[in-house]
Amino acid sequence: MRAKGLLVSLVLLCSSAVFAQHGGELRFCLRSDPKTFNPLLVNDDASETVRYLTAGFLLRVNRLTQLPEPELASSWKVLDGGKSIRFKLRSDVRYSDGTPFSAADVAYTMQQLLDPAIHSATSDAFRSGEGKLVTRVLSPTSIELTFPAPVANLISLFDGVPIISSASPQKEMAALGPFFVAEHKAGAFVLLKRNPNYWKKDVQGRQLPYLDSIRLDVEQNPDIEAMRYQRGEVDLINTVSPAIYEKLSSVNASFVRDAGPSTDAEEMWFNQVPSAPIPGYKKQWFTSTAFRRAVSDAINREDVARLVFRGHAVPAIGNVPPSNKFWFNSSLRRDAYDAAGALRRLQSDGFRLENQQLRDKSGNPVEFSIVTNAGNRSREQMATMIQQDLKKIGIKVNVVTLDFNSLLERMTQTFNYEACLLGTVNGDLDPSSQMTMWLSSGEDHIWNPKEKAPATPWEAEIDKQMRIQASTLDLHRRKAAWDQVQKIALEQAPVIYLVNKDSLVAISPQVKNAQPSPFRPQAYWNIETLMLARR
Amino acid sequence: MLRSLSLALLRFVVLVLVAGLAGATLVRVAPGFSSDEQELTPGLSSESIQAIRQARLADGNIPRFYLHYLNGLLHGNLGRSQSLNQPVRDLLRDRLPVSLRSLGFALLLAWSFGLAFAVGAFRVRSRWLVMAADSSGGALISTPAAVLALVFLMMRWPPVLAVGLLVFPKIYRYTRNLIEECLEMPHIVVARAKGVGPWRLLSWHVVPSAIPQLIALVGVSISMGLGALLPVEVFCDLPGIGQLAWTAAQSRDLPLLVNLTLVVSCLTIGAIMCCDQLRRVVGRAAA
Amino acid sequence: MKILHKIALAVLLSTALASVFARYIAPAGYEQQFRDEAQAGPSLHHPLGTDELGRDRFARLVYGMRVSLFLAPLAALLSTILAAAVGGVAGFCGGWVERIVMGATDLFLALPWLFLLITVRAVLPLNLSPMTSVIITFALLGILGWAPAARVICAGAKQVLQSDFVWGARARGCGGLRLIRVHLLPSLRPALAAQFFLSIPVFIIAEANLGALGLGVSEPLPSLGGLVCELQDFVMLRPEPWRLAPLVVLIVVIGAFQVLLSKQEVHA
Repeated sequence: MRAKGLLVSLVLLCSSAVFAQHGGELRFCLRSDPKTFNPLLVNDDASETVRYLTAGFLLRVNRLTQLPEPELASSWKVLDGGKSIRFKLRSDVRYSDGTPFSAADVAYTMQQLLDPAIHSATSDAFRSGEGKLVTRVLSPTSIELTFPAPVANLISLFDGVPIISSASPQKEMAALGPFFVAEHKAGAFVLLKRNPNYWKKDVQGRQLPYLDSIRLDVEQNPDIEAMRYQRGEVDLINTVSPAIYEKLSSVNASFVRDAGPSTDAEEMWFNQVPSAPIPGYKKQWFTSTAFRRAVSDAINREDVARLVFRGHAVPAIGNVPPSNKFWFNSSLRRDAYDAAGALRRLQSDGFRLENQQLRDKSGNPVEFSIVTNAGNRSREQMATMIQQDLKKIGIKVNVVTLDFNSLLERMTQTFNYEACLLGTVNGDLDPSSQMTMWLSSGEDHIWNPKEKAPATPWEAEIDKQMRIQASTLDLHRRKAAWDQVQKIALEQAPVIYLVNKDSLVAISPQVKNAQPSPFRPQAYWNIETLMLARR
Repeated sequence: MLRSLSLALLRFVVLVLVAGLAGATLVRVAPGFSSDEQELTPGLSSESIQAIRQARLADGNIPRFYLHYLNGLLHGNLGRSQSLNQPVRDLLRDRLPVSLRSLGFALLLAWSFGLAFAVGAFRVRSRWLVMAADSSGGALISTPAAVLALVFLMMRWPPVLAVGLLVFPKIYRYTRNLIEECLEMPHIVVARAKGVGPWRLLSWHVVPSAIPQLIALVGVSISMGLGALLPVEVFCDLPGIGQLAWTAAQSRDLPLLVNLTLVVSCLTIGAIMCCDQLRRVVGRAAA
Repeated sequence: MKILHKIALAVLLSTALASVFARYIAPAGYEQQFRDEAQAGPSLHHPLGTDELGRDRFARLVYGMRVSLFLAPLAALLSTILAAAVGGVAGFCGGWVERIVMGATDLFLALPWLFLLITVRAVLPLNLSPMTSVIITFALLGILGWAPAARVICAGAKQVLQSDFVWGARARGCGGLRLIRVHLLPSLRPALAAQFFLSIPVFIIAEANLGALGLGVSEPLPSLGGLVCELQDFVMLRPEPWRLAPLVVLIVVIGAFQVLLSKQEVHA
């Protein structure tokens, strides 16, 4: 009798779990209206969100394990030292409108991606050399791609290549992902519905995704988004600020989660462009490693992490966070905050402190401006803290906030700035995605872009190490080269990394199977397996 | 009459077109015109970045851009928004009615409250009522639009109420001063001395004297209302032209900004000119 | 009303004195960061608590008053003078002069001045002192803030010029500048006083909003407008009553101005 009762309870429990959690509509917000639904033309966050939820990819990097996993491609093989790659594709896969998926679609996608009119980081990464991509469709489920030159990080690049249909009448709107775009009201919302032809199944053989639909409301104001989340109008927030995190946590600790240090870093650098319209004596300061190291040592990163980010950040060693398990150089240690040590370093470089004012060898008072983007409260607070920290060693800092476009023009075209405080957002864990930043000839070599030749021996060494890691498939060799780059960056401090911010997400307790990751998209990277408890 | 209307219409068209050109020039000249946030995408090649900048500079020649735009305008083509990647006509069609409704409601509220308090202050002649109205007006104009709108949002009231409450103190202030000024006019002093009742005094004597300035204030209140509506729409995410204008301004979206400048010019200049015409008509009728 | 005027005067004087002698009244410098006491509530050492960076709120309020409550009235005065000049001249001259001037005013109202402000910021040197930056900001607000009032003043001027006493003055040979100075301006005083009074809080808040363009006060200097705008956090995140102090101060000061000016406004 007792066993019968237990059995009944178990059945009831399981059935309630099954029937209560399947289906439903997940609701969250976009910061802006998506600019495009063409997956190949995506260049804004909102469009990227829609693409992530609707597009199919040959492989995906698991955001928790950080390893590539097969998706539309069941297996792959890199050939010719990274010049070619052969994919074995899944069979019996169809787009949301029923059009069959085949190798021809992969070939079509790659040709479209490498169209000179398309300008994206992914397409630029594939354009590794002079010449054209050669696609060989070996069978409907097998394709070989040959590039003109070896492509660094070839495998994980395909994590950002959505496969579009070459034959569907819906063109790029035909989806291979778990959802498809069902409705779009410009400026208001995007409604995604379950892809009835989605190929993936769970371990019990049930077709994924579990959710019926996703509603993405356009909500620009994060405070209002948080208010709606509290009211239950929204089920998750992919990124919350530390202040909102604290507020939601005080209401209900289970409302929010800290997924650990992300790849986003806050940083400051000095303008080392020789032709910059700033006084020559200031250029001398900024190009001095001792000066930069002293400024770095004089900044109290612990306080920045504690006050500005409410403890949800870690002092940064570089722009690779510890959560990037493989690529982070764990042997590096940052010097602790040391204002006295910073002053000694400056004095050894010819600076002197007179009446609380630091002066250089020529007697010029050490004063410079830090520009940052207006409207970003965290950055304004960081700049103010840096101002106070450097005041202790006699350096006068003027904080200038500018609207973003004006700031960008100064940073990249006129070079009319002295120091800049901004953040980096790295979607890719692999160092090859940072080639344009670390190569001295790179556009993103922020302190001195597009150098004709490396301006310093250490920049030449970085160039060499970056080319090594980009030209070999041997992971350990790549790791050694990238470790060396991180070490040089710490020693020379061309960029003063301040903190690595934690990924803070808000996920309603109604959402099941959520496993927030430090990497984008933090809250819904495993969208297919998210479930909703019955409302 | 016809000649006067034609001249007014011509003046309106010229002013609006000049406003559009001046607005486009301001946008072009402002720093950051050729910059795009996309440039900061890690991994972009030099060629891609140059292509992005060139795309932005395609509309760099303002006279040529404006002539091309006006040509398109005559054919119903308002151009395409660079930041939102949508036809401007569609954007305005969806959002302008929202803003107009909000503005209309807000101005109705502002004028109702403003006139009610001003007339109440005249009628009741209570220093406490005046103080209450003055204090509330002072408190309202001292509060940032965003803060007020967020308070309403939290209370689940329409944030557009904040716009009305922000414009109300100005309406109240000017109207009260007008009424007080009119009360000092000789013929009104005589009327009061002869025992004319307050409502008759107001409707027969005060209002006709104050009407020209009140009509001028109506025209100006539209631009005041628009000025208050923009931050409220931005902070509260109302899908009106205010939000559109802010997005366009941040990204230097020239086609969208020119269109919005024309819309705002039409509204403000149109309203003011209508009020001017009305004032002339009323003045002639009074004479 | 006499007592009320005295109270208003006392409020303004005490605010002015507090601002002038801020260094002696404030428990700490406005920029000093007590980082171990961040976001603390009111205490003996910090009467209004501290902000997110540990800065004393009372000190920032007192120094912020100095910036805003001296400069905003000056900017308001500038915009009022410009409104009087433009509106008065247009109304006085009438005819094609009025049409051109008012047309220019309407154009002025319709333009996106945001971009002029961005350009101004671009032209200014980066190493500008915070006080210079805020003076320039308020000057710009004064220069750009005259247009709405000019129309009302123009309409008022036209009406005054139709008055019997003005006709009488003209008949007696009074004309030009004397007519403006002796008859027109005093009659327009209520409208001008209203413009002045209304502009002060508007400019204080506008200065804070211009921070989004890089104008306005720069860190660490506080402004009353900036402190009031921080109330967005109050509404959404941290409803601590003492954070309302800047708004209360602003309302009280505006109220005091109002009481003092109401005599000027009402009795022309």
